[in-house]
Amino acid sequence: MIHRSSFTFSIRSSVADDGGGAPVTAVAAAPGRSVRNRLGVILARYGVLLAFGVMLLTFTILRPSTFPTLDNAKSILVAAAPGMIVALGLTVALVMGDFDLSIGSMVGFAAGAAIALMVYHSVPWQLAIVLVLAMALGVGIVNGLLVPVFGGNSFIMTLGMATMLTGLEYAFTEQATVFQGVPQGYVDLGAKSLFGLSNQVWIALVVALVLWILLDATEIGRFMYAIGGNEEAARLSGIRTRLLRTVGFMIVAFAAAMVGILTSAAGAGYTPNSGQYLLLPAYAGAFLGAACFRPGEFNIPGTVVGVLFLGTIGTGLTLLNLQTYLINLVQGAILIIAVLLSTVAARRA
Amino acid sequence: MSEPPPDDGARPTRPGAGGDLIRNPGPVSLGAHAAEAVGTRREPFIVVKGLVKRYPGALALDHADGVIVPGAVVGLLGKNGAGKSTLIKILAGVVQPDEGEIFIDGEPVHLHGPIDATRRGLAFVHQELTDVPNLTVAENIELGLGYPTFAGTFMKRRALRQKATAVLDRLGARIDPKSKLGTLSIAERRLVVIARGLATNARLLVLDEPTASLTEDEISHLHQVVRLLRDEGVAIVYVTHRLQEVYDVTDDVAVMRDGKMVFESPTAEVERSRLIEHITGHRAAAKMARWRPPEGNVPRDELLRVESLGRPGVVEDASLVVRAGDVLGIAGLVGAGRTELVRMIFGADRATTGRMLVQGDPVRVRGPRDAMRAGIVLLPEDRRHQGTVHTFSVRKNITLPTLRRFRLGRSVPIPSLSHERRASQSLIERLQIKVPNLESPVRNLSGGNQQKVVLAKWLESGANVLIFDEPTHGIDVGAKEEVYRLMVDLAAAGKGVIFISSEFPELVGVCNRVVVMREGRVVGEFEGDAVTEMALVERCYAT
Repeated sequence: MIHRSSFTFSIRSSVADDGGGAPVTAVAAAPGRSVRNRLGVILARYGVLLAFGVMLLTFTILRPSTFPTLDNAKSILVAAAPGMIVALGLTVALVMGDFDLSIGSMVGFAAGAAIALMVYHSVPWQLAIVLVLAMALGVGIVNGLLVPVFGGNSFIMTLGMATMLTGLEYAFTEQATVFQGVPQGYVDLGAKSLFGLSNQVWIALVVALVLWILLDATEIGRFMYAIGGNEEAARLSGIRTRLLRTVGFMIVAFAAAMVGILTSAAGAGYTPNSGQYLLLPAYAGAFLGAACFRPGEFNIPGTVVGVLFLGTIGTGLTLLNLQTYLINLVQGAILIIAVLLSTVAARRA
Repeated sequence: MSEPPPDDGARPTRPGAGGDLIRNPGPVSLGAHAAEAVGTRREPFIVVKGLVKRYPGALALDHADGVIVPGAVVGLLGKNGAGKSTLIKILAGVVQPDEGEIFIDGEPVHLHGPIDATRRGLAFVHQELTDVPNLTVAENIELGLGYPTFAGTFMKRRALRQKATAVLDRLGARIDPKSKLGTLSIAERRLVVIARGLATNARLLVLDEPTASLTEDEISHLHQVVRLLRDEGVAIVYVTHRLQEVYDVTDDVAVMRDGKMVFESPTAEVERSRLIEHITGHRAAAKMARWRPPEGNVPRDELLRVESLGRPGVVEDASLVVRAGDVLGIAGLVGAGRTELVRMIFGADRATTGRMLVQGDPVRVRGPRDAMRAGIVLLPEDRRHQGTVHTFSVRKNITLPTLRRFRLGRSVPIPSLSHERRASQSLIERLQIKVPNLESPVRNLSGGNQQKVVLAKWLESGANVLIFDEPTHGIDVGAKEEVYRLMVDLAAAGKGVIFISSEFPELVGVCNRVVVMREGRVVGEFEGDAVTEMALVERCYAT
């Protein structure tokens, strides 16, 4: 628990907590807020959104014929959808202060397991999906046992789980690439469109809505935020903290497994260890999201904006024909600056 | 509940009396009669005069004077917060005084930090062990002195061991210098820390409650060591809560209260009861009329019975009964196991022995949820870390334990905002919590208002037994009185209240019954007029 809280503290102390200072009196906080303060609040809440707008405008001006088009918007959305679903699931665990580093491997495992079940073991695709999602929930439960129940450090426990999942993936697939014998029904799931938008985008939207309601409207969500704010106070208020944190890990694993299924369906095949590339962008998106709307708090609308922001930068910079090294440099710098600026603004506010 | 400090006739001498104060300190001055008591004519090693330390909202040390002579043991007594630790920290160079002077061998000095203090021959054995458990005894003793090395790099293990053995022998301690410190008992570890002090050729040894958690045998060995060192000419300041120890080992004794040195005398010339008077201050009449449960022919219902609850080493065999209409106080010093006991009752920590009955029926409490279901709630001691979610608004904190009541619909697990607002607004008005609005985060509130938010959380929870752990700690007098009134109102409404406090006057002022805990055990119970501060203090300190 000590390890865990030190991680969570490092996130929160920079933004939300007053860092152990003397409590400000209620009177001092209320009236006569200065203009600078107000500006700080606005910047802290909407700074990332503002930067997003500026960026859209910049790309529109620089590439008026290719950037601001419906096709480009669609392609950005489709490209962002898998990362979006992973980041959304991850947000639930982050709200409670838990890290899950097994998400990338979970994506690869789900893809491998689903394809192997269908292709090598002739399992009907619907059943394969159900089995894979059930296995994902099982992994979430194991992570929940390791971290909140036994008190392991979430970083290292889920890192170990990530390696094990990759091992399991190879056990299913023997690392062989598969491009044949994938049932059409399965492929359609990821490849087809509805109202001109890929299924993946719609599914990401549904996941966002469901998790948004869960976190921001329901009792469970309130409890989850309470755990993230002060786990001991939550426990002493009668909240089942270990159970809810386990549920958090289950949601993360489930979301990652969905992405494994969707991407292998869209690609109509399997390539080994295909999910790792999603791990870090998911964190980047969620942290950028925590700098948005509710500074210092991970939240679903923020994650949506964060992921789209990062996706749009990538696409925009590619349209500018920048070299790869420059794209990486700019993308990384924008992430750092955006999160840091809103952190500073939140501290001032 | 703050009473004016009693006038002992002897006021601490203010600074400005000139250099003669070094030789002739004011009448109330730590160790003033120590030289006389041990019959030495040696020059004082350290003299402090007029030390003042202010913290925001508190005067921790109020013109404290002291004389420390070689070869004498001076006892230092006082309640928690009386200023003992502040004085020690100043001597250790950890805290800088706001006013006052320190003289060593007659020379005015500034103690810049712990290393400076050590170099000048001051050694400290703090209450909490400040040793390194994964190093050996020898490595610990020499820690910070610079290990003997060859080629400037490699430790000379044998030389190191020999030096350590020499120091340990001086203490008469049979401890293998090669063993890892973590494998030793607490008593042995304390001796090692003392040895570390001696290894620096300390001329003053300050022992802060050195016998806490030691057995009788270990205590008497430690006392032997203290006498031995005294006879070798080391000056010793001995901080303790146990009066018996004062008589066993000290030559001179001083009492601090509210940051002042209020009493000092050769130990042989002072009665036990007089020490207690000085520790507590003369009793001021309680401002609050003591709560008396309605007396009638009807016996009051038993709400909670705790039988032999415990966990080895923390709480042993604790039993108590709470009846409807009780404000039951739990008195004790810090570390007596009061908080640990109520956390077990609430299920926040596990108990390994004993059982609990709620209204006559046995209940198993495996966690706070079970306790809440059984109608027991706890308002924890540490508001900031246990009582509130600081990132949450006042409203969200208040409704957190009872959120299920605010559902939009019976089976819709979504809280209704308007419902929540109405309920928390009425609690805020009832408890007169000063908040800008319901949505302001609790971290922006003052301590007293934060405490009231914690009260508001549980007030409407329907609990029958409410446990208040140090509810008045760190809040102002007005807010304290509101908390007392609230507890009494709850009792009058037929609830049972458990009230933990380190301030005995408030227990005496409010509770109709008080149990006293010491070293993890319930060691006494007082009811009605038998609840006096003198009785509580005596029971807390008795050994």
